[in-house]
Amino acid sequence: MSLYEQVKEALYTVIDPELGINIVDLGLIYNMEVNDNNDVKVTMTLTTPGCPLHDSIVGGVESAIYFLDEVGKVDVQLVWQPAWSPEKMTDKARAMLY
Amino acid sequence: MSGLTANKTETNVKLPLSFIFLGLVSFVLSQWIFLIHSDALTNGIFRLPQILMGAHLLLLGWIVMIIMGAMYQLVPVAFLTPIWSEKLGFVQLIVTGVGIGLFSFLLGFNISHAVYGAVVVIVGILLFLFQILMTLKKQEEKNVLTLFVGGALVCFLITIIAGLTLAWSIAFGSSFNYTATLHSHILLGVAGWFTLLIFGFSYKLVPMFSLSHGFKMRGSKLAFISYIVGLLLLILSFWLDHSSLSTLGWILLWVGFSCFTLDILEILKKRLKKRLDRPFMFSLIAIGFGWLIHTAVVVLRLVHFQDERIWSWLVFLYIICWVMFSILGYLYKIVPFLWWTYKYSSQVGKISVPLLKDMVNEKLGVTLFSLFTFGTFGLTISGVLQMDIAVQLFQAIMLATSIAYLISIVQVIRK
Ligand code: HEM
Repeated sequence: MSLYEQVKEALYTVIDPELGINIVDLGLIYNMEVNDNNDVKVTMTLTTPGCPLHDSIVGGVESAIYFLDEVGKVDVQLVWQPAWSPEKMTDKARAMLY
Repeated sequence: MSGLTANKTETNVKLPLSFIFLGLVSFVLSQWIFLIHSDALTNGIFRLPQILMGAHLLLLGWIVMIIMGAMYQLVPVAFLTPIWSEKLGFVQLIVTGVGIGLFSFLLGFNISHAVYGAVVVIVGILLFLFQILMTLKKQEEKNVLTLFVGGALVCFLITIIAGLTLAWSIAFGSSFNYTATLHSHILLGVAGWFTLLIFGFSYKLVPMFSLSHGFKMRGSKLAFISYIVGLLLLILSFWLDHSSLSTLGWILLWVGFSCFTLDILEILKKRLKKRLDRPFMFSLIAIGFGWLIHTAVVVLRLVHFQDERIWSWLVFLYIICWVMFSILGYLYKIVPFLWWTYKYSSQVGKISVPLLKDMVNEKLGVTLFSLFTFGTFGLTISGVLQMDIAVQLFQAIMLATSIAYLISIVQVIRK
């Protein structure tokens, strides 16, 4: 499996503890890049600015990626533009909310 | 590293938890005092020293301490800015805790010296207000939440000044209008400080807990203006003894509360999370109670209903069913969150961690919330009908439930 795939898989293990849904299906990950030095850059958002869980989730993303042996540096950028919206969720996440 | 992880906004968990724990103990104590003096409740005598002691253990020791603890936790996350000084937080915890204990004790056992306890409480509360002010100053972007929290804090400040004035004149006598001061004190403490604060935090928390999107909060500005003007008119009416001014004041409070309630209904309608947590639903039900009581007050004003005892019970119901029930529900969300953050936050992404709702026993929560509701209504009805044994029985239920509630919260931090 390529490192890109491994990082992607790792992100699925980060669960929003309030909703019980992983952050990928929630649509919180906007972009992910792995460069030649195996440095990883993730651009993500949260459902609400001022979400009390924000340190935990952003920290969780970093830990989950650092957990992979080959990874170099990890850079997680938290952005509010474009703002998260329900359309960004997968059908699986939507189904879990009902 | 992202700037946000480098600049942690979390507070040392011991600070909010200590406030919350002291608050819970004070809650149980207040219920015990009300049980011992239940005959005063039966006879509708609320201004007895022992009842004043129980009331301030409930209002200051329980509700205000919980609010302070919750604000130490919520202000940094809701306003995205860390607490100004954690050290001051601990100093403030001790001063306020000692002050409230001393003040309540003196109210009950040596009311002419209560002013000395009052001074200590005031110092503690002023330290808190200073802390929050310094924290909010660091916030870049002001929003509607700032407005409500700011308004609430101003009301709190006036409440405690009025409280000190009351305690002062009990000790040394005075020539000003005591009744108007007492009424202003109660109104600004209960409807100004508590209500405006719950409005503000609900605008933030309800969308978050229900994962709501695309709502407008159209009523928020009107809710704020109408409520503030209503409060001002009522205070004027207390001092000028003006009846129609007072009716208009109550109507404006009702309008403000209704705008807020409609906004919350819109937020809930646009929610994505269909099954809401039960404790959170209890806080939402409290909004319904608050609205009903505001409505009842307006109706009673319009028909010129004057019975002093019924008015006292309405104030009691407002404090319990609106303010305290909101807090009982939110605490079941806040404490698990606090403890989860402390214990599991750094484990996210490394091991599998529990979900927030696994941290509390929701079923037990539902039982306790039902018992509180049953106890409160039973108490009110038997109190209004002056049935001594029933008042005792329902107050015993309140005491037992408060103890069970305390234990249920302590169990969260053993997870
Ligand atoms: C948010 C805080 C507070 C609230 C909501 C509040 C509310 C009340 C209420 C409802 C009463 C009437 C109680 C009854 O009739 O049994 C009362 C009375 C009184 N309060 Fe407070 N209070 C607060 C804080 C304080 C503080 C900080 C002080 C002192 C510094 C204080 C001093 C008094 C005194 C002396 C009375 C007795 C007045 C009398 O019955 O003659 N209160 N307060």
